[in-house]
Amino acid sequence: MEEAPFKCLRCGHEFKAPYDKKIPMERACPKCNSNSVPRMKAAPKRAEA
Amino acid sequence: MMDVGRHPRINLQTYSEIDDISGYIGNFHVTVRKKARYVDESECNACGECEKVCPVVAPDEFQEGFSSRKAIYMPFPQAVPSVYILNNDNCLGHNPIACGKCAEVCEKSCIDFDMEDQLVEVDVGAIIVATGMDVYDPTEMDEYGYTRYENVITSMEFERLISAGGPTEGHFMRPTDREVPKRIGFIQCVGSRTKNGRGNPYCSNICCMNTVKDSLLLMDHYPGTEIKVFYIDIRAFGKGFEDLYQRSKQAGVQYIRGVPGEVFEDPKTKNITLTVEDTSSGAIEDHEFDMVVLATGVIPRRDSEIVRKLLSLSRTEDGFFMESHPKLKPVDAPTGGVYFAGCVESPKDVKDSVTQASAAAARSEILLNAGEISVEAITSDLIVDNCTGCGICVRVCPFNAITGGDAKAKIPVEIVEAACKGCGTCAAECNFDAILMKHFEDAQIMAQVDSILDQDPMEKIVVFACNWCSYAGADLAGLSRMQYPSSQRVIRTMCSGRVDSSFILHAFEQGAPIVLVSGCHFADCHYIDANRWTVKRVEKLWDDLEKMGIRPERLQLEWISAAEGQKWTKTMKELEEMRQAVTEEEVEQTKKVLREARLKVEAKKKAKEPKEGAAEQAPAAATA
Repeated sequence: MEEAPFKCLRCGHEFKAPYDKKIPMERACPKCNSNSVPRMKAAPKRAEA
Repeated sequence: MMDVGRHPRINLQTYSEIDDISGYIGNFHVTVRKKARYVDESECNACGECEKVCPVVAPDEFQEGFSSRKAIYMPFPQAVPSVYILNNDNCLGHNPIACGKCAEVCEKSCIDFDMEDQLVEVDVGAIIVATGMDVYDPTEMDEYGYTRYENVITSMEFERLISAGGPTEGHFMRPTDREVPKRIGFIQCVGSRTKNGRGNPYCSNICCMNTVKDSLLLMDHYPGTEIKVFYIDIRAFGKGFEDLYQRSKQAGVQYIRGVPGEVFEDPKTKNITLTVEDTSSGAIEDHEFDMVVLATGVIPRRDSEIVRKLLSLSRTEDGFFMESHPKLKPVDAPTGGVYFAGCVESPKDVKDSVTQASAAAARSEILLNAGEISVEAITSDLIVDNCTGCGICVRVCPFNAITGGDAKAKIPVEIVEAACKGCGTCAAECNFDAILMKHFEDAQIMAQVDSILDQDPMEKIVVFACNWCSYAGADLAGLSRMQYPSSQRVIRTMCSGRVDSSFILHAFEQGAPIVLVSGCHFADCHYIDANRWTVKRVEKLWDDLEKMGIRPERLQLEWISAAEGQKWTKTMKELEEMRQAVTEEEVEQTKKVLREARLKVEAKKKAKEPKEGAAEQAPAAATA
């Protein structure tokens, strides 16, 4: 399974964890154990001038 | 098996698979695929002539590959019905020019190479899932040398070798030289209680007593055999088990506390040497054996996902099916009318499996004899006028309690109240307010939010807690006199899946600085997988809040079980710190943004309404 970046909304810790869009998984921040950990989405690429 | 096969009221479908299950408690419709065995079941008298002439030789799965079978064979001696079966993959006879010898010798002309699978439709009131388990394959544990060294075998292979019906007719021998081994080592917990990524973290329950039984069997058949058992700890907790364990010790079986780290084979003698630390003495020891038996653990059936999907079941973290309640409903599945028996629910021995099977049979009988069922008054109701038939609720219902719906034809869905458990996920996902959750209506929950935030909203944390886990976790924290800030105000819902996005947004609009959505851990969800929809909803809200310039941190998600009073306390303390960091300006800004967004949506809705009204009036005007 591929890994994706996540950010904890409790302590701000950023980490990588296995991610599959089709398989929901219970995730916890490795630092503070909070479950409020949304996946960090890549910022949209700016079109080159 | 014979009794079952002959029972006039039991319809035994062997060599069959379930293709589909529809319906609900008391009214299941099951499609059974009766696989083609290429032998006419009603005619075959198991004379065995076909087997004699079959030229194909394949490993016998029942004998763990220690002997061979033919392409046409009896699966095992006690098979019911006692008829032959032709393995399609092994057989050459599908091209009769190539073979077809079995068909030639069969006097009753039972063999039919053109036989096809049959679909049998059955209506049943209750379903008992008893699909069993698989045995752990220790090949990945390379340190034990399984498959590298022939004299290292598994406990299942041991069973076949010492069985009177086995390939050696009960004459125990080691595979390399067919001599009776004089020194045998048993290694316990192979594939069980491991935390290194190989095997499974749970105890397989049966291996200790199986080894104790095997050791006594060996001592009985071959007195004087040197037997050593390497273990972490012996779990002999059943009735009479401790006695059996003590008898094994008295018979001369040595129990050494420590699991071997390495296993070597002597290339000449093919003897096996184990290196182990005896944790009782701390000494590193080498032990040489003629043969080593790995007490392999049990695992959920590899195809259990198919059964899970067919019956909308859920699995615990170890992969076994989850019961409705571990203490009060240990044989019931969360889906009404479905019961468990045996290792499908957790590893267990014969006695426990029979106990659970008897209980499952009794539970089904109670259901069937009652003729009708009572449901709790928290089920969902359809507001037919609002339903567009979009089918979102059909998709999210964990119990398949909602059926039908066609958006194009404007046919509303149907709710089967008997199957509904009242999680409320459908109501939370419905975009048209077409589902009303009895006792957990939108208006009732909104009123609770309003009441909480009516005074001093800045001082409050709005918490949505599921009935079964988080609410009970909070209860435990209170009962245990755990200290935590008093700023939280709990709104109980049956499941976190009931928490509509609008409840959360309403709380923020009413001035809540922090909102927490809390539910069961994934594997513990009392509504199978309803809390997966909670995650999706909260993740979407985090995105939406960020887009609106509201810090997503103010919406928190936490899985807290009924036993996690401490986690509840810790969470509340952390959220209190977060609450204090939220400023009044921030809350006012949030209220403004959300109010504007809501008014926009309402204006759009209003703009639509006259159009629809005009469309309705148009034909009337034309008629006039």
